[in-house]
Amino acid sequence: MAKWGMVIDLEKCTGCQACSTACAMENNTLPGESWQDVLYYKEGKYPNVNIKWFPRPCMHCENPSCMHVCPTKATYKDENGFVLIDWNKCIGCKYCMIACPYGVRFYTDEKPLIEPDMKKVYPGQDGQQYSPPYQNPNSDWTKGVGIQPKGVVSKCTFCYHKVSKAPAGVADLDEDNPALKEYVPACVRTCAPKARYFGDLDNPDSTVNRLIADKRGVRLLEHTGNKPQVYYLGDHGVVPAFTRPDKS
Amino acid sequence: MDILKSLITRRRFLQASGAAGAAGAAGLGAAGTFTTLKKAEAAPASSGGTTTITKSICHQCPARCGIDVYTTNGRVHAIYGNSDHPIANGKLCPKGHLGTFILYDPDRFKGPMKRTNPKKGRNEDPGFVPISWDEALGTIAGRLQNLRDKGESHRFALFYGRGWGASCAGLQGTFGKLYGSPNVAIGHASMCSEGSKRAKQATDGNDSYNAYDYRNTNYLLIFGAGFLEAFRPYNYLMQMWGHMRTKSPRTTVTVVDVHANTTTAAADRALYIKPGTDGAMALAIAHVMLTEGLWNKEFVGDFKDGDNLFRTGQHIPAGSFAEKWTSGLETWWNEELKDRTPEWAEKITSIPAKYIRDVAREFGSTRPAMAIMERGPTAHTNGTYNGMAIHALNALSGALFAEGGLHYQMGPSYGSMPVSADDYMDDWAKSGAWKSLPRIDMAKTERWPTAGTMMQEAGPNHLKGDPYKLDTAMFYLTNPIFTAPNGQVWEEAMKDVFVIDTSPYGAETAMYADIIVPDHTYLERLQDAPTYPFEGWPMAQLRVPAVKPVHDTKVYGDILIEIGKRMKGPMADYYKAIDSTENVLRHLAKGFEKDPGDNGVNGFESWKEKGVWYKKPYHWRQWRGDFYEWDGKGYNKKMTADEVKAKLIKTASGKFEFKSAFIEKHADNFSQKLGIPAERIGLIQWVPPKHTGGGDLHFVTPKTAMHAEGRGANLPHAIAYQQPMHGGNRTVYLEIHPDTARKRGIRNGDKVKIKSSVGSIEAYCKYFEGTRPDTVVMPFEHGHWSTLTRWTQNRGSGHSGHLTENVSDPISGLACYYTGTVTVERA
Amino acid sequence: MSNMSQSVPFPESVSRISNLRIGAGAIGLVLGIFAAIGLLTQGHESFNTNSNISWGLPVATYVFFVLTSTGLTFVASLAMVFGMKDFYPIAKRCIWGAIATLVTGFIALGLEIGNPLRMIWVIPTNMATSSPMWWMGLFYLSYAVFLVWKFLLVNKGDWTSGQSKVIGILSFVTVIFAHATLGSVFGMMGMRPFWYGGMVPVYFLITAALSGLAFIMLFINLDYGMNQANMSDKVRSAMTRYMPPIFGLALGLVLVFTLTRTVTGLWSNVPELNIPMSYIVGTFWYQAEIWIGMVLPLALMLSSYRSNAKVQTLAGLLVILALFIGRYEYVVGGQLVPMFKGAWYDDLLMYAPSMTEWGVVILAAAIGLLLYAFGEKKLSLADAPNE
Repeated sequence: MAKWGMVIDLEKCTGCQACSTACAMENNTLPGESWQDVLYYKEGKYPNVNIKWFPRPCMHCENPSCMHVCPTKATYKDENGFVLIDWNKCIGCKYCMIACPYGVRFYTDEKPLIEPDMKKVYPGQDGQQYSPPYQNPNSDWTKGVGIQPKGVVSKCTFCYHKVSKAPAGVADLDEDNPALKEYVPACVRTCAPKARYFGDLDNPDSTVNRLIADKRGVRLLEHTGNKPQVYYLGDHGVVPAFTRPDKS
Repeated sequence: MDILKSLITRRRFLQASGAAGAAGAAGLGAAGTFTTLKKAEAAPASSGGTTTITKSICHQCPARCGIDVYTTNGRVHAIYGNSDHPIANGKLCPKGHLGTFILYDPDRFKGPMKRTNPKKGRNEDPGFVPISWDEALGTIAGRLQNLRDKGESHRFALFYGRGWGASCAGLQGTFGKLYGSPNVAIGHASMCSEGSKRAKQATDGNDSYNAYDYRNTNYLLIFGAGFLEAFRPYNYLMQMWGHMRTKSPRTTVTVVDVHANTTTAAADRALYIKPGTDGAMALAIAHVMLTEGLWNKEFVGDFKDGDNLFRTGQHIPAGSFAEKWTSGLETWWNEELKDRTPEWAEKITSIPAKYIRDVAREFGSTRPAMAIMERGPTAHTNGTYNGMAIHALNALSGALFAEGGLHYQMGPSYGSMPVSADDYMDDWAKSGAWKSLPRIDMAKTERWPTAGTMMQEAGPNHLKGDPYKLDTAMFYLTNPIFTAPNGQVWEEAMKDVFVIDTSPYGAETAMYADIIVPDHTYLERLQDAPTYPFEGWPMAQLRVPAVKPVHDTKVYGDILIEIGKRMKGPMADYYKAIDSTENVLRHLAKGFEKDPGDNGVNGFESWKEKGVWYKKPYHWRQWRGDFYEWDGKGYNKKMTADEVKAKLIKTASGKFEFKSAFIEKHADNFSQKLGIPAERIGLIQWVPPKHTGGGDLHFVTPKTAMHAEGRGANLPHAIAYQQPMHGGNRTVYLEIHPDTARKRGIRNGDKVKIKSSVGSIEAYCKYFEGTRPDTVVMPFEHGHWSTLTRWTQNRGSGHSGHLTENVSDPISGLACYYTGTVTVERA
Repeated sequence: MSNMSQSVPFPESVSRISNLRIGAGAIGLVLGIFAAIGLLTQGHESFNTNSNISWGLPVATYVFFVLTSTGLTFVASLAMVFGMKDFYPIAKRCIWGAIATLVTGFIALGLEIGNPLRMIWVIPTNMATSSPMWWMGLFYLSYAVFLVWKFLLVNKGDWTSGQSKVIGILSFVTVIFAHATLGSVFGMMGMRPFWYGGMVPVYFLITAALSGLAFIMLFINLDYGMNQANMSDKVRSAMTRYMPPIFGLALGLVLVFTLTRTVTGLWSNVPELNIPMSYIVGTFWYQAEIWIGMVLPLALMLSSYRSNAKVQTLAGLLVILALFIGRYEYVVGGQLVPMFKGAWYDDLLMYAPSMTEWGVVILAAAIGLLLYAFGEKKLSLADAPNE
């Protein structure tokens, strides 16, 4: 058993969104259904502008509020630390979306972000919400893996379909290790500046634990008490408070 | 490779889990969804099959990253970086992953077609009807033959953009030679990044972009290169970024740009410069480096008596400075640089003198340190001079050919073509009247003496009939009707030209096409692609089809060859001998038999299997002012000055020239165009930009990280991630400084009208404190008007190119995309 | 045990209103079906809710109606649980009204969630006891059972048997917990300060009571043609002596609650509280809610016109509208600040219900109205136990 976690080094991250598109293609999400997203924040006045960005997967929290509010246990935390959704149990009440402080959940029975709607271009088959021709062959609705049916909530699975097949006892899933790269989450695997690391938070030998300790890792929005299993490195790991933009 | 054996099929799963899920979904599910797609396109990938990985090469920018294409049951479903590819190293940029969508894009052309509506224009439906390949190729060949028979073969032009290698763009020159047209082929470089190439050609004699040793550099001074958005090879740059920013010592980065972007934000220092004035800042940095004794004395040389005589405003005595690998420093200082103080530059650039001095001291005292640039400084009327001033910093820092510095790219060890075209030339090819005619774009004539290509001029020139009218134009990976500055002119120009489009997609060129001969998309192609400038050592990638063609398409190289076969005379014989692109590639790969790659590639089959041939290391190194050549074991062979001139610094003097002989060769021509005295024309100097457009705000149109060289506009996911800093996920926003906007009564989020002397577009704006108050910024992305692609339409923002005057740098020929000015008002 | 009903006069005006109500219900049903047709053809894509504003008008409508049901049960319980005999004449009406509003609420919710039918098996088989929503479901389901049971007993004339009393008590107890757990569905969300707080169930209690009272003011007056002459003495007594002060008191409490919530929001530094509240206060609807929907009816209840049937009808209607606006502001307001969305959503989220969502509301309300009208015509809602 492992407690899978991720480390994202904001010092190295270039904000390019390759993690987002790798995820979108690996998991066949719709435009705007960003299981993995990169969120930009801007502060300051010309010429002193302070721009931050945060790559944001699902945090796979130790204490996930989304799971606690789920009225059907469709959202659950498995023994290896994944927070998953059983699409056969999800009733689409969206309470988990209300309860997630990190905004990682999606309900795609909504108006499309991009017109024309991909759901109409590639109509759903076999119960799928939409059925594009380039699908990942992995699908497991009890884990929220694959293309979801209608009326359920979807989110990042930490690439469960890859990670869960990793050899037991591995401390880190390092994409640079040819024997392990197929088990590395898409976002981690493709990260060009190697700003992302994925490993076992329960394993004292893991690089992720080392990095969290050496580089003083932080978790975002700690006050919500969800205790994410995603840690951020770098001296600007603080999400700016919400403000309304200058309007007039 | 069978990686994931036990897969749960969806169908089996549904049976196991019972009907409850399905019933639930059906309860409220949308019953009526509509589609006009063919069933084959809409069918979901079936699952449970064996997954194969094809080694291929990405196509979405010039970088040519090696990719692993995952295919199961004949369907591509994932693309990752190839771990064994030196650029990709298992990684990809955000564009790379979206290739699967490019392959299955429902708007692809399904096969060859011809136009039935003779009228051309934005709102004219071309009325395409499918035809056979035979008819399509026959029509084209017949038309070309007819022109040739009339002695008008020069009226056929072939325009191309991203030429990949010998098996596509490499075939074009021969085609032109055999057919007899100076206009085969005209590349797009003058609408791309020709400025930096010309700046380098003028100073160090290399008509090329640089290869860079980022891994070992300790200081990066970046001028308008969009290093973390649009520079290339982007994927590799980001890998290096992660390395540079965590290595010991950490690479310090200063970025000079006109607005805040991810590069400026991630850098140690961001300086927002007035558009087109980068050269002034570079000159001031050079001034400080010299006055403070911070130049690399081992590379540049030193005063004979060892005292630094560079003092602001004062000449240095003739002959007092002994130069080593540079030339003209004395004149440069005395005639230009002595007065180029940071205080002087502040007035021009608006960058405080203090910061210029800080940068100069850092840059001058850190080794290795390099200055890099791209279109930001060079897409202006003074672009070559800006570029030369920046590149001069690399000479002063001694970064040229040094570890942690700049190199030039070596070519691959290709074998020769199956047959030589010289053996297939008929009289017309050898000495027809076409030989004495200028190109339609007038490149390499008195009009543009040092421009390699001037595609942006071709449309307007045809319209004017100057030097003549075109009859037929073929397009390969370029779409100037949309991308050319003031492309509206092309819309008029192409109305009476027979247009052949080879794109698999219905862009604007296709709207004007008389015949469509669709290329494969890159995941279906067999095609070589020698590396774009990278680390210097030679590399040649190969695109290998991951799947059989999804539609009835043909690889472009074969289209050319098949047209050639249908011509009369020896030309047809040549193409029959060439046979096919695969045959070409097999011959090229023979070169690897004698020179196997580091990864064991020694012929066609192994090239296909690995997707790349490469051979490290780079052969040359400058070390402490001496040049060495690789002897098989190390950089042990010291080079003579003549060898350096022949192989590395290819200027007339064999030195880095602060006074460019290359430019002086056309002194009178440029003197007249630029208003600079002929005797000064070769100096690296400050030349004020001439801003076009007639507006009161600079208009800059950078490319975003998601911009896939025109191949991204119809990708829903690319649209959704286009402009993350400003929330541009349906459209792209015009960045405007709040004060600038308020003065014009523009509120945050308003729709605005942006006008220049040549056009007017609309877009939504976003207030941004990171944009200079005298500048507005809008990514070059949307505003397509083709009705043949569904997601490009109605994106809410117009096309920036419609505002750009067709004015080019007289030296490089680069279209001045970033020198325009506009007015902005509420729409 | 006496089962005799009190007979009341049944003049023209009453039957006209009754017919009007059936007409309105029928028209609403048609309109609702027509507007909600998007739901059948497009599913929830026809809603303007999305992954950022997940709960919109239909959920606000659900909250509004189930809390109204709660309030009506409270009033019925005054007589049937606490023995305040003066309320017997309106008790049966209240129970039936509680059933009708509960049905209305659940129709709105059922058409809002993704897989409503799946609830039938996944909720009981998974026992997700950590979820406030699970408890809410449990208590509202129990409440619905007891409520219907109680009505069936009352309808048979069994007002005061041991069983009837126990069921009445059970329905009261379950609805107390039901509305409290509904309050917790919102109040436990610490990540959404706009909703958060242990007092939310109390806030829901008092607004639920007001909501029930407002419906009584509106519907019972309408049932009697807005004319107390049509009422029996006891009904008249309940509507003139008891209801106005209770209604006024509840209204006053709700007004205080609303204002303190507003002031707290405006004063607070917490952006998730301050920014949406500042925005809401600036809207027409908020001002209408306070001044027209609360202050004006309160003034009416404080004036000597409070016993006037027409004034009561108006006050009831205004308060209902105010409470509906309030529910909408509360449910949507808690979602206006985007949850960690960066520049993609850099301002307060914008949401306005779609035609389909309005259709769902109209459809649910029309069904509720028809249900009530059916009861009013067929189920002798004026019945009360003989003393």
